Amino acid sequence: MKTAHRTPVGRVLLEAALVAVFGAAFAFAANRISPRGLALARDYFPTGTNEVVPAATIIIPVGEPPDVNPAARSSVQIPTTPTQGRGWQLIDDRQAVQLLHDSHLRPGAIVFIDARDEEHYLGGHVPGAYEFDPYYPEKYFPAILPVCRAAEQIVVYCNGGDCDDSQKAALLLRDMGITNQKIFVYGGGITEWTTNHQPVETGTRNSGNVNITIQ
Amino acid sequence: MTDHQFSWKRVGVNLFTVLARWLLGAAFLYLGLTKALHPVDFLKLLRQYDLTSDATLLNALAAVLPWFELFCGLLLLAGVAVRGTALTLVLMLVPFTLLVWHRALLLQTAQNLPFCAVSFDCGCGAGKAFVCRKLSENLVLLGLSVWLLWGRGRQFSLRFSLMKPPAP
Repeated sequence: MKTAHRTPVGRVLLEAALVAVFGAAFAFAANRISPRGLALARDYFPTGTNEVVPAATIIIPVGEPPDVNPAARSSVQIPTTPTQGRGWQLIDDRQAVQLLHDSHLRPGAIVFIDARDEEHYLGGHVPGAYEFDPYYPEKYFPAILPVCRAAEQIVVYCNGGDCDDSQKAALLLRDMGITNQKIFVYGGGITEWTTNHQPVETGTRNSGNVNITIQ
Repeated sequence: MTDHQFSWKRVGVNLFTVLARWLLGAAFLYLGLTKALHPVDFLKLLRQYDLTSDATLLNALAAVLPWFELFCGLLLLAGVAVRGTALTLVLMLVPFTLLVWHRALLLQTAQNLPFCAVSFDCGCGAGKAFVCRKLSENLVLLGLSVWLLWGRGRQFSLRFSLMKPPAP
């Protein structure tokens, strides 16, 4: 009776089918309940977010509040790289640093947007940057849309390298009515920022925990 | 003496099977939870396999697989529907292992590296790893799943089989 304990193949197959059905039901329900669950109908990877064209030159006003004597406002020419068909520009580390400096002089006119997830944002972001995970936009729109609408320049960044979440975030902002021309994508992202020993703020926005990363 | 030796062997096999079930259950619980907590990261990794161009289907796979693995892990730990769960895991592990192997071959060609020097995050839940190590781990998991199909080691099981065996 060596095979007495064995169940026939049919019963195992039926049991596997039941596991599959109940497992799938459990999985869909868990995804639905989870605060990090995915929206099944959303296209998380809209096409055309990686296209780049040759550099152009734009003028970024700096050094004066936006509503104080615009005629006397100083300006600096910053060559940038617009992304094709999207209307926003790609900027480098030097330009990002300049804009952060200017943002202190003109609060609200220049806004930084961190397009990484919450865990990475809290671990360190450009000082004063707003958190905006483009995979959960509805969670962040109430906070960032009024700020972006009021701003004159918006700098969006993510990890840098092959990360395209900053462009994804820019695309979402554009879809929500933010003018293309005031969106700038910082391609080097936080990796380049910290490599160049720029200041990093940990924790929540304006937490005051600002330090310079030494690598 | 022969009966005594056979009995000890059976005890050893049963003990090994129970430990294999707990190990497999814990592994899938951990791997599933890791992915379920970061579904977007898993979605990005899954997208690299070019399984489908349909966004909804890709989202559904990324949303369901982690929780499904977690579900199977819980069943194995509790000892519920063990053989059905083991068969389900075999049916999941075989295609995923082949996909990892196929992607590793593509990366090997692109990077001009020895096969075992290819390293990438396969989306399996354990982060970036060398492909030979990852494939070995998958083969161990596959082997344990096949072992559980045998039906030994029913100790510490809440309900080893959902189906009642036919009356003698």
